[in-house]
Amino acid sequence: MAESTQVNRRSFFQRASTGLHGAALAYLLAGEARADASASPHLDLKPRSPHFEPKARSVIHLFMNGGPSQMDLFDPKPMLDRHHGESYVDKISGELEFVKDAGALMRSPYKFKQFGKCGAPVSEVMPHLAGVVDDLAFIRSMYTTNLTHEPAVYLIQSGKMGPGRPTLGAWVVYGLGSENQNLPAYVVLDDPKGMPVNGVENWEAGFLPPNFQGTRFRSTGSPILNLKDDANRPNEIVGMERDLLSRLDQIHKQARPRQPSLDARIASYGLAARMQLEATDALDISKESQETRDLYGIGREPTDSYGRRCLIARRLVERGVRFVQLYINAQIWDTHTSLSSDLKTACDRTDQPVAALLKDLKRRGLLDSTLVVWGGEFGRLPIAQLPPDKNEKRAGRDHNKNAFCTWMAGAGIKGGTTHGATDELGLNAVENRVSVADWHATILHLLGLHHEQLFIDLNGLKEKLTGVNGARIVKEILS
Amino acid sequence: MGRLFSSIHLLLVIASLVSAREIARADDAAPKTRGSSTSPSFPEAVRPLLESKCFRCHGGSTIKAELDLSTLHGMKKGGESGPVIVPGDPGQSLLYEKIHKGEMPPGKNDRLDVTEVDIIKRWIESGAKTGPESEEASQVAINQHDVLPILLRHCTYCHGPRQKEGNLDLTTRAGMLRGGKSGPALVPGSPDQSLMIKRMRLGQMPPPKLLVEGSVKPADAGETEILAKWIANGAPEAAIAPDVASTTPDPLVSDKDREFWAFKSPKPVSLPVVSARNRVRNPIDSFILQKLEAKGLSLATEADRMILLRRAYFDLTGLPPEPAEIERFRNDIAPGAYERLIDRLLASPRYGERWGRYWLDLAGYADSEGKREQDLPRPQAWRYRDYVIKSLNSDKPYDRFLREQLAGDELADYEHAPEITEELADNLIATGFLRMAPDATWANITGYATDRLDVIADEIDILGSAVMGLTMKCARCHSHKFDPIPHRDYYRLLAIFKGAYDEYDWLRPDVRQGLGPISLDIRGGRLLPQVTSAERHTWEANEERITREASTIRAKLESKQNVLIAKYLEKRLGDLPAVLRDDLKAMLATPAEKRDAIQKYLATKFEKELRIDRTALKAIDAAFKQESDQADAKLTALEAKRQEAPKIQALWDRGAPSPTYIYKRGDLNTPGRLVGPGVPSMLTDGKTPFDVKPPWPGAKSTGRRLAFANWITRPDHPLTARVAVNRLWQHHFGKGIVKSTGNFGKAGIPPTHPELLDWLAQEFVKGGWKSKAIHRLIMTSATYRQSSSVTAEQTKLDTDNALYSRMPLVRLDAEALYDTLLLISGRLDDKQFGPADPVEVRSDGLVTPKGTRQGWRRMIYVRQSRKQIPTHLENFDYPQMNPNCIERRDSIVAPQALELMNAGMVHELGGQFAKRLEREAGKTRAAQIDRAYLIALSRLPSDEERQIGLEALDRLTKQWTQTLAASGKPDPGLAAEKSLATYCHAIMNSAGLLYID
Repeated sequence: MAESTQVNRRSFFQRASTGLHGAALAYLLAGEARADASASPHLDLKPRSPHFEPKARSVIHLFMNGGPSQMDLFDPKPMLDRHHGESYVDKISGELEFVKDAGALMRSPYKFKQFGKCGAPVSEVMPHLAGVVDDLAFIRSMYTTNLTHEPAVYLIQSGKMGPGRPTLGAWVVYGLGSENQNLPAYVVLDDPKGMPVNGVENWEAGFLPPNFQGTRFRSTGSPILNLKDDANRPNEIVGMERDLLSRLDQIHKQARPRQPSLDARIASYGLAARMQLEATDALDISKESQETRDLYGIGREPTDSYGRRCLIARRLVERGVRFVQLYINAQIWDTHTSLSSDLKTACDRTDQPVAALLKDLKRRGLLDSTLVVWGGEFGRLPIAQLPPDKNEKRAGRDHNKNAFCTWMAGAGIKGGTTHGATDELGLNAVENRVSVADWHATILHLLGLHHEQLFIDLNGLKEKLTGVNGARIVKEILS
Repeated sequence: MGRLFSSIHLLLVIASLVSAREIARADDAAPKTRGSSTSPSFPEAVRPLLESKCFRCHGGSTIKAELDLSTLHGMKKGGESGPVIVPGDPGQSLLYEKIHKGEMPPGKNDRLDVTEVDIIKRWIESGAKTGPESEEASQVAINQHDVLPILLRHCTYCHGPRQKEGNLDLTTRAGMLRGGKSGPALVPGSPDQSLMIKRMRLGQMPPPKLLVEGSVKPADAGETEILAKWIANGAPEAAIAPDVASTTPDPLVSDKDREFWAFKSPKPVSLPVVSARNRVRNPIDSFILQKLEAKGLSLATEADRMILLRRAYFDLTGLPPEPAEIERFRNDIAPGAYERLIDRLLASPRYGERWGRYWLDLAGYADSEGKREQDLPRPQAWRYRDYVIKSLNSDKPYDRFLREQLAGDELADYEHAPEITEELADNLIATGFLRMAPDATWANITGYATDRLDVIADEIDILGSAVMGLTMKCARCHSHKFDPIPHRDYYRLLAIFKGAYDEYDWLRPDVRQGLGPISLDIRGGRLLPQVTSAERHTWEANEERITREASTIRAKLESKQNVLIAKYLEKRLGDLPAVLRDDLKAMLATPAEKRDAIQKYLATKFEKELRIDRTALKAIDAAFKQESDQADAKLTALEAKRQEAPKIQALWDRGAPSPTYIYKRGDLNTPGRLVGPGVPSMLTDGKTPFDVKPPWPGAKSTGRRLAFANWITRPDHPLTARVAVNRLWQHHFGKGIVKSTGNFGKAGIPPTHPELLDWLAQEFVKGGWKSKAIHRLIMTSATYRQSSSVTAEQTKLDTDNALYSRMPLVRLDAEALYDTLLLISGRLDDKQFGPADPVEVRSDGLVTPKGTRQGWRRMIYVRQSRKQIPTHLENFDYPQMNPNCIERRDSIVAPQALELMNAGMVHELGGQFAKRLEREAGKTRAAQIDRAYLIALSRLPSDEERQIGLEALDRLTKQWTQTLAASGKPDPGLAAEKSLATYCHAIMNSAGLLYID
């Protein structure tokens, strides 16, 4: 057995060096990876059956960190036009981070129009997304429990307002494993310009085994930390060192029979080598047609960066990666000031790439098995937040934990739906309120996982993503 | 009035009797409709039912889950899970849900039958009345403990005993009556006249614009009305004593609950008799052999002594033996050589660095606060790290070690000590243990009382899991589901910490400028100035020296400047008419405000030209400019040598804490009973009061934590010693005797060798809580000296090595691997202690420790900021300290291979390792290979391994020669060097280095 594995690996290296990639290679190696994965059940990344027939096979989470403004994007509020300029701050003083900057009620600087067969209103700053509204299901009635970025981001990522818990993606791959053993099951595409709030904690595995944590793929340069040889040594030398290492390790192993961890370690070196190849290939978008790259806005500003990440996300789900998560640097949606220009900038960077991703997935038949999720950690207030000079032209909006809007599209989603509603000012979610736990449960449901059955035993407690307070699947948006 | 009242009373009684009769009729015939008026009588139908079925646990003297069903007040207040009755709505009433689903009462035979369940349902539907309204009213009378929590939540941040804004203290009734600058806050009987109510109703208090600054939430109308109602009733105070342990047996925890093995003190154990007596080196082996022999197994053969050497080195120091040490041990063939080795290693300063790390994991050590993006640094945390290392190196008794960490501030009066000795300073540094939880309360928006409670909860969690082996945190929101830890006991424990950790009187982490929206809190931070007098003097001397040297430089320059200015002045005056010179001199010497009219006139005309200052002088005198610039540079350099005043990150009791209430569901908005300090009842006899007294006469400190520390280090404490020796065992054998090292409770994993655990625990205490004695005992046992080879028989009969039929093969942890790579490549800087070494963050997120010319220090001295953990640590299972780590994982994942194969630092160390080989073994390949094995793997290569090495080096040299030639820079010397570096790199990647036999 050891010998045949060795032959496989050697032939793999020969073929790999002549450029054989893709499905055949993945198939060839999948068997090997399955055979040598770690011994304990449910702790590896082998594909696992869901609790019931799933609608979605993979998820692309477009995390819009910073808190996109619901009343300026998808949830128009005519009452704000009517009451523009009226003071409201006393009614919400406990809900503000920056009390001294609080201004009056503020109308949206943008115009809305209805689109598609469903007639969903979309703001003029998202013209591309407006073209695909019939594929989207909006949830207008989301709410969260803290109005500060860090705790709110922890909550939407991991179900609790603090660090140390497994994130949604980690739970998903814990539940389902991965279809592709040569790539990480949970890939994070963060912005080369900088990390989101909470940094690497956004994709941590918490108390789940560390192999369920998200792996960062940088969309330029070396996609994974240490994926490239820092010393830039010639391939021949690297090959010789691997060969030497493998001979020494075989001797070491043969002198120590019945030690499974030694096999697992040798296997991990094999996987590392394969990852080096396949990750590089998955990220090579030069293989895409010019038309496709144009669709995503690649090669043009300001869409190039996010467009690349969207296209790579498609290439990853195509290869069986279970959970892909996209980030934007810093807080482009965190429009405390200059809403009228900054929110447009944020949309200009993302609108075309996001719409392109949906169209591209659809025309390739991937939208039937891929769930696309868009949203941030909270919403924004109907009142203005004024800059220090109190210039209303540069007004923004402060954080709002009581209402925000997200959407889902793709596998299992009833396109053209709008679920829930906020009050007439957009301050509170009032109708069919959807908690973060509900939102988590809905995503798990689409993947064939039941949120109460997806748990890990920890000191006698069944720890779950959705916690102890229960959650409701948002059935209204399901097809 | 009285008569009217009693007649209403009578009417009601009659009404209830009538309805009772109606129920009986309804039950007989008509189908029941929802919300029908047929309300069962409380005294006749409901109360007897509750009395027979529920009161045993939820009535009067016993109130499990904080629920008292014997009064309406109790029912309305509810238990840990909140109210159990919502009048009019059985669907929302927990009482109905529980009995309806058959979840309560717990015993099968006690369950209510259908009719009985229906009585409860209809009673709730019809409003859950218990009787005449007056009676209900008297039962739900409001007292000071209903209003104090409201005031604490919204008012006392400013109007409390410390801040007394407007000279007002609202924490007592007397304080309210006395009032503040604007007069009394309280007029008993007249809420409308009471200033506090007026201000609150107008929305003036708490002031909306200051809410966030003080991290206070606005009061809602309901809360204001409870206050108003209390005042309307005359602001009554009830004499309610906090619930603490007394001489009356505890109604919530029974003696049966205390039967569980871990909650009883260890009893003396007799040594088992075994057949393989020749294998018994010390009692440990008897316990182990007993179980092995029962399965038909015995201890494995003893490991080769060179393997033992390497094992012992890594176990005690986290590093491999250096060649000279290998030689020494190889040559020591006299009896007792191995024992002498263990003694040498236990005396090594490396011991504390290795074992200190395990303790830091338990404490949740970090050099930053975490939780927020800014990840506020804790620049003084390293003192605690050093304290731990030094304490372990000096084999400080574990009971003392704990007392210092739990109550160091209460061990001796540090505020009035004439001199701060090392011991006094250590007492305070040790309390840093209780300051390790992630904490974002330095910012007002994440500094609310609920956020503070989260910090306290994390500390309790650390204390429970690290020291007590209990999952205390479960009892924060409700009584523990598995262990007999009532909700109450969690809050008694909280009361112990209240003098230092009071969510309503909070010291925030010390913030430095430039770190986002910060609180305007003036109460000061968490640093104490009591470093040792010696350190303070050194610091002061340094500051004085700088001040002195700086003033010398300044004075020198000044005198030079004065001479020159006088010279240039004379020159300029010389250019002016002689008659004016004396008057001009007089004018320049007179301060502006004292000049007469003539002088003022002269000043406007000439002063500008004649007044020569340093800038002017530098402009006209190049030599002086040079001198002045040099002096400035010297001063800047000098000032840069100033250090921040040394301080200690500590936790200390501030006296007079706010009262402690049980928080239902862990929520401070739903306070329950008042409790006092106490320890988990299951670990006591349940009828002994918890004795708290001030630590020394006149101390302002409460002494609560000292009492706790004394209790937890009692020689007969059921858990403390067991938990400690179990950890010592764990790090030698890869797992604890109790595998769930942080949970000795009922949901934990039972001990594989309970007698051994108890024997070790008692040896530990008898020996004065000395850890090194236990190490010696363990490491000199035959059990520890076994080989790690696995036989087919062992795999079959002892699959997961639960019986210790062999030693485990162990992967190096993150620190041991890193330190080893440094040591073997000759780049380990063995400087100990002091502020943490910085890290470098590459643009792709790779985090690497920053080295110096001396190399790199051990990983324990590298900064552990929560958001910038060195990538190497992350790859090799260093945990996120949230809040601490009980047991690290031992993963085998591809990023580890990627790092060791590709990371620049490992390549660099490979090169350094090669250079060391050339230095120590010369140019001969075979000698280099032998030396590489000796340094890295503590042994010589086999012939086969040597041959493989020679062949590889040969091929590598050829390839490097070719590569270098192809790049146009042929260099045989470099090719030889690079191939050796590649070989070394492979050795650093090899399983032989990573795994300890």
